[in-house]
Amino acid sequence: MKTWLVVLTIAVIGLGAYSIDLHGDKEDLQRTVLAQYTDNLTDASEKLSHLQRAVSQSLLFQDEQAIHSELDSVWRLSSEVRSSIATIPIGQELSNEWMNYLGRLGDEAKRTAKTGDYEAWREKMPQISTNLQSLSDDWTAATVDFYKNDGKMDVWLQQVDNKNPNATFDNVKDTLKGYGEKDFPLTLSESDWQKKIELKALQDAVITEKEAIEKVKYLFPVIKDATFTVTKSNDTAPYPFYHIQFHQGIRLGYVDLTEKGGHLLSYLVERPVDEAKLSQEEVIKKAQEYTKKLGMKDVAYVESRENHQAWHVTFARVHPGDNALIYADGVQLKVAKDSGELLGANAMEYIQEEKIKPQTAKPIDWKTFFQDDVQVQEVKNIYTDNGQFEQRLCYEVIALRDGDSQETFRIVIDAENHNVLKVEYLT
Amino acid sequence: MRLVSILFALILGISIIAIPQNDANAFSDQQITRGAYGDDVIELQARLQYLSFYKSKIDGKFGYNTYWALRNFQEKYGLPVDGIAGTKTKKALAGNSDYDEKWVKAQLNAGNQFTYYGGKPLDQQVKKGTSGGNSSGNSSGSTNNNGTQTQVPPKYTERDLQLMANAVYGEARGEPYEGQVAVAAVILNRLESPEFPNTISGIIFQPLAFTAVADGQIWLEPNERAKEAVIDAMNGWDPSENALYYFNPKTATSKWIWSRPQIKQIGEHIFCS
Repeated sequence: MKTWLVVLTIAVIGLGAYSIDLHGDKEDLQRTVLAQYTDNLTDASEKLSHLQRAVSQSLLFQDEQAIHSELDSVWRLSSEVRSSIATIPIGQELSNEWMNYLGRLGDEAKRTAKTGDYEAWREKMPQISTNLQSLSDDWTAATVDFYKNDGKMDVWLQQVDNKNPNATFDNVKDTLKGYGEKDFPLTLSESDWQKKIELKALQDAVITEKEAIEKVKYLFPVIKDATFTVTKSNDTAPYPFYHIQFHQGIRLGYVDLTEKGGHLLSYLVERPVDEAKLSQEEVIKKAQEYTKKLGMKDVAYVESRENHQAWHVTFARVHPGDNALIYADGVQLKVAKDSGELLGANAMEYIQEEKIKPQTAKPIDWKTFFQDDVQVQEVKNIYTDNGQFEQRLCYEVIALRDGDSQETFRIVIDAENHNVLKVEYLT
Repeated sequence: MRLVSILFALILGISIIAIPQNDANAFSDQQITRGAYGDDVIELQARLQYLSFYKSKIDGKFGYNTYWALRNFQEKYGLPVDGIAGTKTKKALAGNSDYDEKWVKAQLNAGNQFTYYGGKPLDQQVKKGTSGGNSSGNSSGSTNNNGTQTQVPPKYTERDLQLMANAVYGEARGEPYEGQVAVAAVILNRLESPEFPNTISGIIFQPLAFTAVADGQIWLEPNERAKEAVIDAMNGWDPSENALYYFNPKTATSKWIWSRPQIKQIGEHIFCS
């Protein structure tokens, strides 16, 4: 009995010591994490006041070089504050508002530096500078509140988690929301783009559930005997569609069709795939046949990529006027390596047909455009987004740079004003 | 007559033994070009490197580096210069180079840095225990059983694939395949949105953004299904129909998430914008 008592006492003491040690470790870890959060919070706070000053300073100069230096600072600082804020647990909504506001401010600075439209900047920024000052003050007040938590992680998390509502960041959240909409309203191109992704241009008649299933059976005869489960998109979805899940033997998947007109959004099947039997050439040929069967007769092959089970083959709509490829109207197909069965189709972009404004292509002398050690291998005419929601006629150049090892680049150049829109390193 | 048969069998046997090793390991009869992947491409790259045409990493992915190397080989050997490894090109390559498949695959599987130049002892061309693949070693990430890396669109990296596969597996491994692709698509939709960090890593590790990060399930080893789901999302599939958020209505604690406009439900997750 005595022995048991001794063993039990030792065990209790041991467990107690272990638990104290564990608790200590946990507290150490929490303090480290909280120190990092506080550091990022302080960092964001400081950089925010630098950002406000940079915006204000950008309004001082007429000299182009001086204003460029301030615009660079605005772009850099807005990006740095974004990074700091992204690493702090301050709640999704507030974080989103900050990201949006700072991202738009940075983009505006970048765009001004590129286009040289300083007048628009000078007109807009005095108000933004004042707003930033008040945001910076609110933020500082909110962060001071957090320093009072005495290094307690749970208090911080409760405050940001809406479990224990606290006004600490509410002022910042409300102010940001108001400023965000006022300071950076959607541009015309952006709102057009928004309408496009909401599929507002679709004017076709609404199809019924039954018609939707018939359409699926027609487009994808391989699942014509499947069991279908149809649900309609939620009322709050940006565009109404049918979500059709199916099951046929080894095949399990879904098709999404728009409610207006029953246009294919996407199709995906999951099934076991056996050993590859088809060559790349055969797969591409099959994919081309599938585009015709799906009613996409105005597309051309762009590229293909092989993986474990399937090939992903990409097509793009061909502009009827100049035969340039419209990359924004792309179609992707997934083709099984064993039998060439269509395992997936994505036509989300294809059905949102771009409206292309007429543009002229001015020739470029590649010898003077690139350095001497760059060889132009291929040039293709394409339409692509210029980053401001406009489709531009471009030259897509595949260029090779000689060196110790050859390097390949894909360069997209606006065909009219010769601005370089994209540079990609290819391996 | 019996003597003739024995003699014939002997000649046949000798001729089989005499076939050089490079032919024994020669390619399959399929023609390959840019976009292809797998054993044939590994062999193509190794043989091109053996002849010093190919200087990049042997990774089984037929990209531009392989394409230019192949064209240079075709030009030098008087073949039609089209960057396609067809029967004639493969035959010319097999006849002029050696390929030690076992050795190359062993290096790929071990994740060693290596090259395969002809005329140099193989043991001098390998650095053991390095995890970044071979020679140029500028990408990391997942390899399959034969050491070949997965192919993703150029704007993404192997690191993105690995990280997203971890997130998808941690967040949605019990969900239908469609639901896994949708989770991957939400991450990519956030990448396009100004309201979120502008890197995949920044999005996944944004505090409070994903449950799998908070409870550590993101560190579970993802399966092939999760990787396949990420590859489909990277190639454009978005079963979430442009969603930026998703949540499990049975477990969600945030009131705010219920205020988001809902799009559709897949499995246990409601996707919203």
